[in-house]
Amino acid sequence: MRIRVTVNNTIYERDIEENRTLLRFLREDLGLTGTKEGCGSGECGACTVFFNGKTVNSCMVLAAEADGSVIETIEGEASGGMLSALQKAFEEHGAVQCGFCTAGMIMSARELIHQHPHPTRAEIQEGLEGNFCRCTGYEQIIEAVLDVTGGYEPKEELSYV
Amino acid sequence: MLDTFAYKAPQSKELLLDMLATGDSEVKLLSGGTDLLVNIRNGVYHPKVVVDLKKIPGFDAITWDKRAGLTIGPSVTINAILTDVKVQQHFPLLCACAKDLASYQIRNRATVVGNIVNASPCSDMAPALLCLDATIIIESRQGKREIPIAEFFTGVKRTVLRQDEVVTSIHIPSDKAGVQGVYRKLKRIQGHDLGIVGVAIANFGNGARIAVSSSAPTPVVTPLLPLDLSVPKVLQAVNAIIRPISDVRCSQEYRSFMVGEYTKRLWKEVIS
Repeated sequence: MRIRVTVNNTIYERDIEENRTLLRFLREDLGLTGTKEGCGSGECGACTVFFNGKTVNSCMVLAAEADGSVIETIEGEASGGMLSALQKAFEEHGAVQCGFCTAGMIMSARELIHQHPHPTRAEIQEGLEGNFCRCTGYEQIIEAVLDVTGGYEPKEELSYV
Repeated sequence: MLDTFAYKAPQSKELLLDMLATGDSEVKLLSGGTDLLVNIRNGVYHPKVVVDLKKIPGFDAITWDKRAGLTIGPSVTINAILTDVKVQQHFPLLCACAKDLASYQIRNRATVVGNIVNASPCSDMAPALLCLDATIIIESRQGKREIPIAEFFTGVKRTVLRQDEVVTSIHIPSDKAGVQGVYRKLKRIQGHDLGIVGVAIANFGNGARIAVSSSAPTPVVTPLLPLDLSVPKVLQAVNAIIRPISDVRCSQEYRSFMVGEYTKRLWKEVIS
């Protein structure tokens, strides 16, 4: 079937197989490979994108369902070659290590900040519970979100380091 | 990669019922897709046709009326329940259960009706709906029937639904509005996970009911228990309805123990 989708403010019209997931459509049909496939079954959140303004696991959405919808992915986060404030905070706090979870993590963090402009640590943990990170131990990610929302208190450097 | 299937999105309930009328077992209904698409991917289902319910006007409605009660449409998401002011105000137990279901992104897609129709023993919405005496409204070309939720589940992932039928809403009677309740779910991790056990308690003022998930072939609920019942008697009532097994998540003994433990804690917290 033919679908018409707005992705990061660009309208795309494509013929798709009806069993295609939104994730495969974004990655393979549109070449937007910033969104990653981790588990493919809603556990890890690496494929998180905005679907009509709400975050979803794109591995569990059919591209066919997205006909007429508005999608936002990690490729739309930076603008004019400049990282967003959230991306900068991730960079500064070492919240990106291997980077596989980052695209989904940024999407969920953006939604979290939209819901809670000044989130507590607990609200951040709850908002990001659907996104797994196997490198950072989450602390740097939480610090990045706290920093970008004005709640970050720098820790003192250890004197003996 | 998913199996090949055709995608249909009927624009009205009439068209939907027509599509289902043949009773073809290779037709699967899609709402949130958080169970269906994973099951297709894992080869549990091999549908020829996937029918999306979300394009049907009104299916995403939550309606509240002081006399008629609360009605939840088949494409109402878990986050829609959590953000609905009337539900927050009148059905706090529904919100308590919804809050513990999966992760934020999944709650944006997963539906209340899907959580019930899927009939998993570890359903998070079933404990609230069992305590609150919800009715499941089922329609087909043959007509409409209303089934109390306690009679809806027939086994692990089994319900009374026929292949030509669809759940068109869940109804909670207005006399259950204002019932206070708490849900506690034991998980392997603090983040999102399927429950090891889930215990919900609802205080009706003249008695209380306890519903348990992940501890029997279906979610289960006690009859109305007097508020002055002793804790050992409460545990007896709960033990009478559960039939825990050992599985990948924990042993039967641990499951039994934790149902008892959560029941004791919640009874103290909510009743005494």
